[in-house]
Amino acid sequence: MKLRILLADDHEIVRRGLRALLEKREGWEVCGEASDGREAVEKALQLKPDVVIVDIGMPNLNGLDTTRQLLQHDPQFKVIVLTITDSDQVIREALDAGARGFVLKSDAARDLVTAVEALQNKRMFFTPRVNDLVLAGFLEKGHSLSRNETPKLPTLTAREREITQLLAEGNSSKEVACLLNLSTKTVETHRSNIMRKLSFHSIRDLVVYAIKNNLIQIEIPPAPKAPTGPTAA
Amino acid sequence: MTIRILLVDDHPIVRQGLKTLLEGRSGWEVIGEASDGAEAVEKAKDLHPDVMVLDVTMPKMNGLEACRVLRRQAPQLEILFVTQHDSPQMMREALDAGARGYVVKSNAARDLLAAVEAVSQHRMFTALNGRESAGLQ
Repeated sequence: MKLRILLADDHEIVRRGLRALLEKREGWEVCGEASDGREAVEKALQLKPDVVIVDIGMPNLNGLDTTRQLLQHDPQFKVIVLTITDSDQVIREALDAGARGFVLKSDAARDLVTAVEALQNKRMFFTPRVNDLVLAGFLEKGHSLSRNETPKLPTLTAREREITQLLAEGNSSKEVACLLNLSTKTVETHRSNIMRKLSFHSIRDLVVYAIKNNLIQIEIPPAPKAPTGPTAA
Repeated sequence: MTIRILLVDDHPIVRQGLKTLLEGRSGWEVIGEASDGAEAVEKAKDLHPDVMVLDVTMPKMNGLEACRVLRRQAPQLEILFVTQHDSPQMMREALDAGARGYVVKSNAARDLLAAVEAVSQHRMFTALNGRESAGLQ
């Protein structure tokens, strides 16, 4: 029987690369693809894949919240999280969300097949660089990444986190309402609660919070080239 | 038409995805890959591609720097940026560095083939999200 894998990443080019890598293995099949977290949850419930591979940084619903929702629906789902970020906070959150695998995108060509095999054999997998970082964290800070530790988003509900991400991505309350099948009034109420809980006064505070807490990911472009020649007055 | 393409991106998975897309076209061949700007410059010297598909953010030497070096070193080479940065300012900088094309990774599956075809014919191709302006001479 084939091992069925669902891929969730907002970049089709990345999904193509992952599919090409995974389908080289005899007996493995990519049974579906999703371009955001919400679609990933729908397709996973419909297709019941053996393994779900999710990018952390997806729009509408990020990979960590996708993982949480999948496991709320069915704790048997096996999820590998793919990420460009290797901070110990992200590792901690991925573990707390219930991911059984954690692979850096830069290492995916080397590690993803091994990760899927591990999950197929009911084991967990962390990319070697992540293991080094986790160990370094233990030695430096003297604390453990215990699953009993409180996540860093202590005061927001799952729904509030979803709404925070969508607002930080630039959606208006009306657009958020449309995406989540809620009334605008309900979204506005959630928005007020979020701002009050986090003591924020502007959407900018919300965006900074979303970035710091990995609800959205950003890539830093290279610094612009300094102008040469005579400088303007 | 034969087009020899050098792929440059620090993520092997992205390179694999680009390669799968490009090699679906008859006559197009990915002749090499590089994972940073410095390696891109070296490989361009050795392999003489027609088109380089180049990422912006890479270690050792970023794509903009590599593009500037290659403009001097290999003026016949056409450079197409495929990048996360959906930014008119970044696109302007890429074109000023000497690139002929600029597409955003999130739309690469839609735009890449047309972009490679255009730049291989020395036509400009740029496409930001919601702001297509392709195929200009």
